[in-house]
Amino acid sequence: MFTTLFFIMFAGMAIGCAISVVYQRNPLYSAISLIGVFLSLACLYITLAAPFIAAVQVIVYAGAIMVLVVFVIMLLNVEEEEHRITKLKYLLPAAILLGLLMLAQVSYVVTQVKADSRIKLSESNVGITESIGTGLFTKYLLPFEITSLLLLMAIVGAMSLARRSATLSPTTRIIPGTQVLPKYLVDPKAKYDPSAVESDTTEQVEKVLGIEGKREE
Amino acid sequence: MDELKQILAAGPQLQWYLALSAILFTIGVAGVVIKRNVISMFMCIELMLNAVNLTFVAFSSYFRDVSGQLFVFIVMTVAAAEAAVGLGIIIAIFRNRESLDVDEANILKL
Repeated sequence: MFTTLFFIMFAGMAIGCAISVVYQRNPLYSAISLIGVFLSLACLYITLAAPFIAAVQVIVYAGAIMVLVVFVIMLLNVEEEEHRITKLKYLLPAAILLGLLMLAQVSYVVTQVKADSRIKLSESNVGITESIGTGLFTKYLLPFEITSLLLLMAIVGAMSLARRSATLSPTTRIIPGTQVLPKYLVDPKAKYDPSAVESDTTEQVEKVLGIEGKREE
Repeated sequence: MDELKQILAAGPQLQWYLALSAILFTIGVAGVVIKRNVISMFMCIELMLNAVNLTFVAFSSYFRDVSGQLFVFIVMTVAAAEAAVGLGIIIAIFRNRESLDVDEANILKL
């Protein structure tokens, strides 16, 4: 009986926090509501006898991803959204119609499912860490290795996105014929101008850019 | 009253978890469509991913198969990688446009 009450409590908390994520105008309040959703979902995972997934949910989602999102919100100093007038008038009836359609589809699927009773944490070994580790390293070894490659891709991608474009120092000699550089890399004061600077000698480059005689030797 | 006690004693059913997951997913989709801030849209995408995670864990629990929870593990890893790269893109967009409004980001030119 307590499990049903816990389910109702945490499900209500999850739905309330989810509606708050969408309703709030300030992104920081949305982020805090989303943390509430993650924590209530972790409690629901415990009622489903999946303690490993519950712990990983708290550590990874609420503890790493949301911290990153809050960092970015604070870094960019995001302000509240202003109220805007929707230009498309038929959007709301279409949204309600599609929402009802999806509700009908989900109701049909949900009533067709037949399952046994829910497992209890004390008499199951499906959700404990040992069984997940065994499955991850024997039957699902290939997805595990591919996931590690995916993380490597994410690291390289994030690093290359976050770097500012490097400007050449004034004492760099531009070797003719080996590179065609965009203008904004060569001239530190130029705005983002990707037009190419092509020439044969360094003096010609200086003439094109208008910085002749200004380089320090 | 008797039926209520019976339902309470039997424990939560699989259908309840699926319905909750569908509701969370719908709220996430509504958020992605309604929201104008890029970071808020990203958070609603994470909400959708979590709704799917709940479905996987519910099925894994009721059918006594660990594959669902393994897939949830991989989905969480993918979500973490996507968060890192997505937030890097958001910062790069903000650096060039000084605005996080998706309605204003309607041309590819920076």
